Parts: sequence; structure tokens; C-alpha cells
Amino acid sequence: MNVSSAAVRACGLVKTHGQGQSRVRAVDEVDLEVPQGQMLAVMGPSGCGKSTLLHLLGGLERPTDGEVWVAGRRIDPLSERALARMRRRSVGFIFQAFHLVEELSAAENVELPALLAGRSRRQARRRASLLLERVGLADRARHLPSQLSGGQRQRVAIARALANDPLVVLADEPTGNLDTTATLDVLRIFEELRAAGQTLVIVTHDERVAATADRLISMRDGMFVDDTRLAGTGTGWLGDLIGLEG
Amino acid sequence: MGSVMLVVRLVLADVRRHKVQAAMLLLAVTAATATLALGLSLRGVSDALYEQTRAATAGPDVVALSPASGPAVTPALTSLANEPEVIAHHGPYRIVYADLTTRDSTSSSVVVQGFAETPGAVNRPLVTSGRWVRSGGTVLERGFATALGVGVGDHVTIAGRSYPVVGIAVTAATSIYPWAAQIGPYGGGSDYSGLAWMTRADTRTLASSQDLPVTMALDLKLRDPAATEAFRDAHRDSTIWINFHSWQFTAEQDMVILKDSRPILVVGSWLLSFLAVTGVAALAAGRAVEQTRRAGLLKAVGAAPGLIAAVLLTEYLALALAGDALGLVIARLAVPAIASPTASRIGDAAGVTAATVAAATVLAVAVAVLSTLRPTLRASRTATVTALTTTAHQPRHRPWLTALSALLPTPFLLGLRLTARRPGRAVLQACSTATTVIAIVALLTLYAQQERGYGLDGSSTLPNLRGEHDRRLMLAVTILLIALAVVNTITLTWTTAMEARANMAIARTLGATPGQITAGLSTAQLLPALAGAVIGVPLGIGLLSLFAARNAAEPPSSWLLGAALATLLATAALTALPARLAARRSVAQTLSAETA
Repeated sequence: MNVSSAAVRACGLVKTHGQGQSRVRAVDEVDLEVPQGQMLAVMGPSGCGKSTLLHLLGGLERPTDGEVWVAGRRIDPLSERALARMRRRSVGFIFQAFHLVEELSAAENVELPALLAGRSRRQARRRASLLLERVGLADRARHLPSQLSGGQRQRVAIARALANDPLVVLADEPTGNLDTTATLDVLRIFEELRAAGQTLVIVTHDERVAATADRLISMRDGMFVDDTRLAGTGTGWLGDLIGLEG
Repeated sequence: MGSVMLVVRLVLADVRRHKVQAAMLLLAVTAATATLALGLSLRGVSDALYEQTRAATAGPDVVALSPASGPAVTPALTSLANEPEVIAHHGPYRIVYADLTTRDSTSSSVVVQGFAETPGAVNRPLVTSGRWVRSGGTVLERGFATALGVGVGDHVTIAGRSYPVVGIAVTAATSIYPWAAQIGPYGGGSDYSGLAWMTRADTRTLASSQDLPVTMALDLKLRDPAATEAFRDAHRDSTIWINFHSWQFTAEQDMVILKDSRPILVVGSWLLSFLAVTGVAALAAGRAVEQTRRAGLLKAVGAAPGLIAAVLLTEYLALALAGDALGLVIARLAVPAIASPTASRIGDAAGVTAATVAAATVLAVAVAVLSTLRPTLRASRTATVTALTTTAHQPRHRPWLTALSALLPTPFLLGLRLTARRPGRAVLQACSTATTVIAIVALLTLYAQQERGYGLDGSSTLPNLRGEHDRRLMLAVTILLIALAVVNTITLTWTTAMEARANMAIARTLGATPGQITAGLSTAQLLPALAGAVIGVPLGIGLLSLFAARNAAEPPSSWLLGAALATLLATAALTALPARLAARRSVAQTLSAETA
């Protein structure tokens, strides 16, 4: 894979926590390339380093060793300010706990990244309307997160992650707090994003989510133990099995 | 007993866990109660010092003063000494009005009283250093000598003649320096004057050599010292113009120098109390969730609501009472210096009165209760399960503010939204700033006053002690207020940052830089501080108008504008560090902690 065509690339990535005997290698010598347009799922047991890997790729944490490249630019030596700018332009985050701003409405939450990126209020509002329509929540734009169901909140979070049209969306257990119906709603959106060429890195426990990916990496004790290219298109064989195509 | 021990143990454990909050409450209450106790003690201490000086100097009950010095005056004054109400007298004696110059050219008006070399039964000035008058030498009143910087052995020039200073003394027959001249020359107005004594012969020579104005005085001791009014009324019809100065009048005159000190201290104590309430309320609000959970835990193990309220309130009350005690001790130690800015009186300041102790204690309890009652009631009333699972109060959705902030640059966008999250806290910040600005306006107003110095013809070679005393007190009160406001600003910024840490972490994931977060947190304090500064200036002017003289000068607008801007700049600087520290917290850790 050519470096320039990789949306995200990690090389010899190490992240340790603690010191001395309590030192833990959360991510241990990981090499990774995520081409543009690929939907990558990372699976593994709790505490295997999946979320830490995602944080490293998005510049939320700094690696102990190794390199991280986003959009052809090495980000691990960047200042916090430069990292923030990089996230603003290139990365969208989706979290298991949604992490919406509770006192802002759905539309206001989605507008926020565009406003932080310096866009005008009108542009931010227009973009938010489009994205909320895309995730099927146009009629919930003025609702507060507390007035939305878990699935609706996660769809707002997805819309927010897409607000600045990022190169890559990093999703950390996006369906971890959702029931089956809501999970299927989220997976449909991911599938649409994949079809539109959006690069997605999804950390998940949920095999239904993994089944929609182009590629599946299994992690254990901070290391990649398996890297599988899933042959199917659309929602994949497991997606067919659970009826996403229907 | 078991419950009491439990309450004490829980209170001690909580104080150990929150030392900074405990120290802040203690210091704030100490500052407020010390200032209040000082303000309320001034009159009592001034009276006590006058009484002790009067007792030590056989102070007269009445001083009869005649503006003239003709041949009819002495018999008229002497006849007063023979009145049945009078049991002892001193005089009549001359009072000569002259100028005094020290070796370093400091000049002042002086009244020279001609006394015998052996003091009589009434008005025996107490020599505090050197010796009593002798021919060719002069004794200076202690307050005057201190202001001049003159001691025994120095020479002073009075009406062109040089005299050695042979002694320093105090008297209760006249008011404190610089009000020694009880009446002016020829009965006219008196200027700021010091007091000196010479022998009768030297006084006569002094007066005649330069043809200086002379008045006559007689000190009287009455059978009933309280009957000074009756004595004066009984002798009002004298054919000679005689002024009567009672000891009560002189004691009252001592308070003139403290006229503005009392409002400075008492109003200052209110402002300090207000800032104490503001700061402790901010801290208490920041701990409200933790306190409610703690109450839930106690309820879960069987504690009754009364016990929980006792645990929560006892901590603040105990700290407030400790601060109260400390404040009263400080007031007791500081009051002699504050109540006696001149050295004209002797004696020990009386202890703080029971009424003052009661007032200070009420203030301390009020600070503790006002700042903590709401979270305490909330914690003790919340149902056990709810208390155990309680989370921070959800901020309200404010669409118009959100829409308005969307038009602003990122730091203002974040700042305005943070302000909108906790409007109560913004009000506290505004009040804190307004209170500080009120004090600064008062201080600037004091500095803007044109005042006559105590030197000759109003020269400021001898500074105006009253003005200096007021400015020193106001400066001390302002420094205390600023110190509390500084602590409040840092506390409010930190609690705002801690409560908004999840939202700020989310903003970081969305691309807000640490600098923007820092600026946003600072802006969240600056916006209410701006409102506080704008309100504080007219409030300060309004508050001063209640106490200031009608002809008091207002400080220039540029000073007021400068003070408001300086306050805002200081707020920005103070908020920068806690905001920066908060902004540098790990985003991943913060979000993980919020999820956990």
C-alpha cells in the first residue's frame, strides 16, 4: 500500500501505561495501514488495547514509541494545537457513550465541529441539517440528547463526526450501549458511509458490526493476532445473515 | 454521645480531605470578623484610651476658655474656681498662638500653654520621656512630637526663638493632635495645631516679644464630673465670653480622627463577608454532588436526616467559629494601633466587648449557613437511592445564547456557553468582581481628596494623619477583599473547568485546541467579571456618597476606567493558570472517566 493513499498508518506503535512492575503495554509494536475508503473493524476482548489504539490514531493520546500518520502526515510529534487542527480537518470520533453536549440540541451538537473549524453559523447550520437528514433525525433537530433514545443519540453523534467531512471516522464501540434495533440503524448508516467511500475504523465487541467491515483485525494483549480481508461487499456475509440487506 | 463522636469523626475526616476549602472558609471568616470587630471596637477603645489618659493626668472635667486676655478675664475665670460645684482647679493660664519649626524646617502651628514648674492638682500632664517644663525649655505633647519626629534633647524654634525640648508629655485636657487649639486666636477658628508647654514666665515673654495672640484658660474639677452640662448652663450669662469644653466633648473630639474609619471597617467587613459567602458557596456548589452521595451513603447505613444535616453543617459552623475566634484575637491585637493613630493617648485598649463578640459571631455563623445551607438541605432531603446515583445538575438548554455564541470566535463561543451552563456561578463571579471594584473605587476616591496637611498653612510637610489613617485602613481592607476575590476567581474557574471537563474534552475531540479551551474557560469568568466591573463602579460611587462629605472630590474617570480594566486584566491573568491546567488534562482519560 502506498503511504500517500493510506488514510491512517501506524508503524511500530507502542503505548505503555504505568511504571516498573505495574507497567502494561496497552499497544505493543503494532503496524497498521488503513487505505482510504476502507472500513476496518478491530475486535478483541476488553482491555486488549483496542480503544487505546483508536485514541493513538486520532491523536487523543501520544504513543510511547512508533509513528502515526494521518492523511499522509506524521502526527505523533505534533503539538497539541496542531493535533487539534488535524482532528478538526481529518478525524471524526464516535464514542460508545455518545458524549453529546447535554445542554445543546441535536442540531446544535452537530453544528459544533463546523463552528470550531471557523465556519459561519449559516454554513454550520446548513451542514447540520443535511447530516441530520442523512441519519434520519431531521425531525429531532431541536431535541435535547435527554429527549432522544440511545440509538438516536448515537445517530446524532455520527452526524457530528461527519460535520467537517473528515478523512477518517474513528468509532469506539459505537453500538455498545444500543439495543438490536438501534444497532441495525447505526449499521445501516455505516454501510452508507462505506458505500460513499468514507474511511472508517471501528473498535467493537459486536460481531454484527465487524461483519459489515471490509477488513477485520483481532487484537489480544496489545498486539494484532489476526488480520482478515472480508471478501463480501455490502454488509458482508454476516450482514446478510442478520438481515441488513433486507 | 455516640452520635456526637460520630459527627466529630466524620467532620474531621472531611476537613482532612478538603483542606483547601477548610482553609479558605477559615481565612475568609477570620478576615471578615476581624474587620467587623475592629470597626465596632473603635469607639470603645478611643473612649478607653481617653479615660486612661484622663485618669493618669488628672484631666479636668471642664476647661473654661476665654478668647480675650484683658484685665477682666482673669477675675472672671478665677470666680469660676470659687463656685460651689468646683472642688479643684488649675489656672488661669495663658495660651499663646505661635509657629513652631524643627531643625529640618518642618513648620506647624502650635499652642503654648504656660504651666507652673510644679504641676497642680488638676491637669497634670504625664511626662512620658524627659522631664517637666523648666525655664528656657519646652515640653511637647507626645502626638505632636511624634508627628514632628522630635525627641528630648532636640531644639525647636517657636516664634523665632530656639528652645530645647526637655520633655514629652500627654494630657487629657485637650483633644488629640492636631486639635490642641480648643479655640482659635481672639476666639476665631482654630487651625491644625500641636501643643507645647512652657513655664508661665517663658510663655509671657514669648507672647510679649512678638505680640502673639493670647487666650486664657482655666481647668476645673467638678464635684460631680457628669454634671458638666449643668455647670456650663449655670455660667452662660457671664459678662465675659467664656467657652466651656467638657471632658465628654474632648472625648468625642478624639473620635473625629476616626470618623471615617468606622464605616471603612464595618462596610468593609460586610463586603468581606459577602466575598466569603461567594467563595464558600462556589466551593460548596462544586462539591454538591459529592456531598449528596455522601449523605446517601450515610442514610444507607442508617443515619437519620438530622444527623446528616448535623454532619454537613457542623463542619462549616466549626470552621466559621474557629475563624471568628481567630478574627476576634486579631482585632484585639490590632485595635490599639488602629483606634489611636496619634500618640496623644496612653493606656491599654479595652478588650473586645460582648456585643462585638456577638456581632462577629453572628456574622461568622451567617457566612457558614448562607454559603452551605442549600447544598446541605439538598443532601439531607434527597432520597437514599437518588442520592447514591446523583449526578451533576443538568444545565438548561438556552437556545438564544447558543445561537448568539455561534456568531462569535471560538474562545467566546466556548466561554459564553460555559457561562450559560452555570448562570448562578456567573452571578457569583460578577458579585465578587463588583465587590472588589467597589473597594477599589473607594480607595481611589480617598486618594483623590485634596486635603490640608497639618503643617503651617496646610502644608503637607506634616501629613494629614486622618486622611493617611483612612487610606491605610481602606488599603488594608481593599487588599483583603482583593485577596478573597483572587481566591474566588481561581476557585470559580477551577470548579467551572471541572464541571465542564467532559464537554471540554468533547470539544477537544472535535478539534478545539488547548489554547481555545483555556481562552474559553477564561472568557467564562471574564464575561461576568466585565458585568461586575461595570456595575461595581457606580455601586462604589453610590456607596461612598452615603458616607463621604458633600464636597468630597470624585476620582477622575480615567482612574475609574483604569481600575475596571485592571480588574479585568487581573481576572484574565488569574484564570489563565487554572484554565490552562484544566485544558491540558488528557482527553482520553477524561472521556473514559466520564463513561465509567
